[in-house]
Amino acid sequence: MIAIHHLSYGYGKQRILDDIDVTVGAGDFYAVLGANGCGKTTLLRCIGGLLKPQQGTVAVDGKGVEAYSTRELAQRVALVQQHLQTDIEFSAFETVLMGRNPYQRHLQNESQHDWDIVEECMKQTNTWHLRLARPSEMSGGELQRVMIARALAQQTPVLLLDEPTSNLDIAHQFEIMELLRDINTREHKTILMVVHDLNLALQYCPNALLINNHNICYQGPTREGLTPKRILQVFGVHALVVGDHLQLMR
Amino acid sequence: MSKSTLDIVNNDSQRPWRRANTWLVVALLAVVLAGAMAGCACLGVVRFSWAEMWTSPIFWQLRLPRVVLTVLVGAMLSVSGAVYQSVFRNPLTDPYVLGISSGASLGAAIAILLGLEALLLGVGGMALLTGLLTMLIIFKVATIGNRMHTSTLLLTGVCLTFLITAIISLLMALRQDKMESIIFWTMGSFASASWLDVIILVPVALAGLFVVVYYSKDLNLLLAGSETAKSLGVEVEKVKRRLLLATTLMVAFSVSTCGVIGFVGLVVPHCVRLVCGANNRKVVPYSIFVGGLFLLLCDTAARTLLPPNELPVGSITALVGAPMFIVLLYKSKRKY
Repeated sequence: MIAIHHLSYGYGKQRILDDIDVTVGAGDFYAVLGANGCGKTTLLRCIGGLLKPQQGTVAVDGKGVEAYSTRELAQRVALVQQHLQTDIEFSAFETVLMGRNPYQRHLQNESQHDWDIVEECMKQTNTWHLRLARPSEMSGGELQRVMIARALAQQTPVLLLDEPTSNLDIAHQFEIMELLRDINTREHKTILMVVHDLNLALQYCPNALLINNHNICYQGPTREGLTPKRILQVFGVHALVVGDHLQLMR
Repeated sequence: MSKSTLDIVNNDSQRPWRRANTWLVVALLAVVLAGAMAGCACLGVVRFSWAEMWTSPIFWQLRLPRVVLTVLVGAMLSVSGAVYQSVFRNPLTDPYVLGISSGASLGAAIAILLGLEALLLGVGGMALLTGLLTMLIIFKVATIGNRMHTSTLLLTGVCLTFLITAIISLLMALRQDKMESIIFWTMGSFASASWLDVIILVPVALAGLFVVVYYSKDLNLLLAGSETAKSLGVEVEKVKRRLLLATTLMVAFSVSTCGVIGFVGLVVPHCVRLVCGANNRKVVPYSIFVGGLFLLLCDTAARTLLPPNELPVGSITALVGAPMFIVLLYKSKRKY
């Protein structure tokens, strides 16, 4: 589904991604793990078409990302960004409705089909009761769920999420992870999500992509990848396996 | 689903008037505007009986083109303001505050000095050229990263306005014989309105307004941020370029017929938003008609309040607009 070859990207002289090769199959659910500033966000933004690879290629569905029109790519890849905007004047409903934009033509009104999808996506993310609220009136978690609903409304085969659980309390973290697992198994969406909580990744994401020193250091089943040795190497933290959980300490 | 989602959302809304069908409101506004145009054309220093009106050249050659022109200019300036506010993601922008109007007036002044008035599109063309140049400078100077900060944007606009005013003053000092007509561009007035102006302005208005209406959905997404817009399928750079070109065209040709009139693009879209919300698919079409109406009333006030003198229409729009600008600035200060 996603094929990345020799991808490099840097800001100024600083190389963030250095000659990366990854292939993600259709319907896979990956946790993207790594320390701050290791290039997780940059990787997602390259796949989402927001950044143009400086070297190498990123292909989605067998075709290079830059070969798609902006509209075509938005029908294939949805991206939930890390930073939430609170200064928008649109209601949650209008915000989610924007997710239907890649399917609409200019000067055309939304169809009943669009309305139905928006309602379904908002109910799925438990945001339907917030439909008239504005971002400034919502909590961080509520806004986060609205953004996920908008990405779902895009009805893309690929879903990229940048730390979707960072603004949420524990109960809502589980809720979102269960929702994503549900979408992955039921709709076979390919999901890549950046997450910092290793235990959350262990519990919900079947596969993991570990980034260290600007390159992929592990790709495969999460349980086998998150060994104490590798965690020490990537995060500089000692880990202890307790049952099916990790106990982390300095 | 038994009931349509749209109905559910609309019925929940605390503001029932936002439910109104866009076409219905547009039709209503068009009727009101047509009535106001007819009414304003009848008002004036010289009073006629009904019978005299149909034969009077004052009515046909002076008032009627003037009324049509104010409506066209008001519509174009208002819509341009709505576009700038969404593209720059800043509620405090309009063609005047950004300095685009002054930029265009410089071109008009240069054209007059060069004697290009005789050419059909000479003044408008030069105004467009300098207007675009001003837009380019603002875009380059005020963009930091991919965002435009309020203070940089406003300061750039103010500085450019100062610079351009200085250049125009210099030009006037050099060519004192043309002073009268140059002052006209900097003050703004509809006193010299003619059918020729209307003929030039109609195609510009139709083309420019169509581009903006066509991209009004994209304006909503741009308001949510360039990156968001891009990941939702908007070709951000292309759309922005076309919108800014269309609006600069409208502003430049407005300025070339009636000079610099400030704050119209600020007052009208904000008043429309107070009633119908931020959705540009409503704000843009409504602003066309409300903008036309606003400037029509301002200009009618300008020419009828203190007969036989005519007040500068720019000072009437500024009397309404400048306090509103301050209120908006105060509100946005509280927000950040």
